[in-house]
Amino acid sequence: MENEKREKFIVPIGPQHPALKEPGHFEFTVDGETVTGATVRLGYVHRGIEKATEDRNWTQNLYLLERICGICSHSHAMAYSLGVEKLAGVTVPPRAQAIRQVVAEMERIHSHLLWLGVAAHEAGFDTLFMFSWRDRETIMDILEGLTGNRVNYSVNVLGGVKVDIDAERADSIRKGLDLLEERTRHYLKVVTTDETFLRRTRGVGFTTTEQAEALGLVGPTARAANVARDVRVDVPYVAYAEFPVTMTLDTGGDLEARFVVRIKELFESYRVIRLILDKLPAGDLTMRMPRRIKEGETVSRIEAPRGELFYFIKSGGGEKPERIKVRTPSINNFALVTGTAVGHQLADMPMILAGMDPCFSCNDR
Amino acid sequence: MTIQATNVTSAAQPDAPKGSPMQLLAQWTKGIKTPEINRLDILIDAADMLACVKVLTDAHWGYLIAITALDTLGKPATYAQDVRWKALLDAGATQAASSPIEVLYFFANGPQIVTLRMLLAREAATISSLCGIIPSANWYERELIEMFGITVVNTPDPTHLFLPDNWPDNVYPLRKDFKIEQISSTKIEDIHE
Repeated sequence: MENEKREKFIVPIGPQHPALKEPGHFEFTVDGETVTGATVRLGYVHRGIEKATEDRNWTQNLYLLERICGICSHSHAMAYSLGVEKLAGVTVPPRAQAIRQVVAEMERIHSHLLWLGVAAHEAGFDTLFMFSWRDRETIMDILEGLTGNRVNYSVNVLGGVKVDIDAERADSIRKGLDLLEERTRHYLKVVTTDETFLRRTRGVGFTTTEQAEALGLVGPTARAANVARDVRVDVPYVAYAEFPVTMTLDTGGDLEARFVVRIKELFESYRVIRLILDKLPAGDLTMRMPRRIKEGETVSRIEAPRGELFYFIKSGGGEKPERIKVRTPSINNFALVTGTAVGHQLADMPMILAGMDPCFSCNDR
Repeated sequence: MTIQATNVTSAAQPDAPKGSPMQLLAQWTKGIKTPEINRLDILIDAADMLACVKVLTDAHWGYLIAITALDTLGKPATYAQDVRWKALLDAGATQAASSPIEVLYFFANGPQIVTLRMLLAREAATISSLCGIIPSANWYERELIEMFGITVVNTPDPTHLFLPDNWPDNVYPLRKDFKIEQISSTKIEDIHE
């Protein structure tokens, strides 16, 4: 018996597995059904984008970096553009900044609704999955109408944006948001009252505020444990200073809180998009950018749907960057899985993993 | 230290506010830069890194955003202004050490970002692991190991995080002297074995 106890039983999951559409490999050490350890191996879709940026010019990199992730593509393009514009000393017109914010919040809506579906699916609640994905089509149609694309919207150019919002477009966006807001109210009710669903979320994957801070969590995952971290509030970028958002916090710290925080953030996104549409500043959409960027280093931080996205950009003064470091929110949040897995049932692992909204293509750059 | 750039001072300001990173890290600070609003670059010795991070975390100053590195190969002009680089040369370092690897630890507290920067000799780039203080630093350290060829002492898991298991030894893709031919003999079938 003693010897049996000392032997480790490892359950390998992935890289291809039924829980997630993207490849990642996990090894859970278990004692019976209880997890006693967890490790992660990434890199199955590593494309070497950081290295590739060193071989492309500043404009080409915008399109390359936008393709790091299919869900938060605008976040990557925006973080990069803001960094390069800061290095070049170019001030982007307020109308362009406001449009960037509108698209960023639309991206948050589509990302959170997509996540809601995936997470509901992990819990075996496929009706919620199909409803939320059906409603997500509303925002996808708005994005397609506005930008021409469902993913990789390609809204940013260095120095501004290339799409404009006229009165007619604004009306159709408002109509879509009204529908979504009504549906979101329903989802908030479902995830906080459905008995069966709550048994998969309430008290599962719990972290205290101190733990969440120590693990370095970011984004909604951190805010669900009452850690006040939101780049939109801490360091307002684009137009967040003129059109501020309120930070959504929850003291729960468990999976249920992560559902509640993300869904409540949607209301904040609807509100701020409407506000911007009403008061969209007039003016140009772009500023002229130099082909060579002044020598220097900068950091660019934005709040992607999953949390803080961090870019470190170094220019040697040429047509190409010296180095671009991309730190995506998921890499920080993976600490939640390895940090809180111990003591949980093996069957809770897919839910805990889905609860932090992992993005493997972001990690694997 | 004879060469100093205008934006580099070799010691911390004595009148820095109490509890600020500038004051907390004053005893290890070899140079300070303020490249942008809300940003503070503190140049330190790699040997003092753990002590600096300990002080920051004990004071609950912010959280670790990222660890990354820069290869300085072919950029002597930029680094000649750097007091730390000068010190490496003064210590009689070899030609190889004249293109050191710079390691950067980014910490954020609200809008403020503090970057601990240190130079490592290219041929024997070694740094201590941060995992004893911040366990999640392991992700970044594994990246430093495989991408830049930095030896991280005492890191709990030094295996590949992103690169394939059969990636050739001593080939570090984010170093500036990396050539794609170095991996051309590595077959895709081998990678997936």
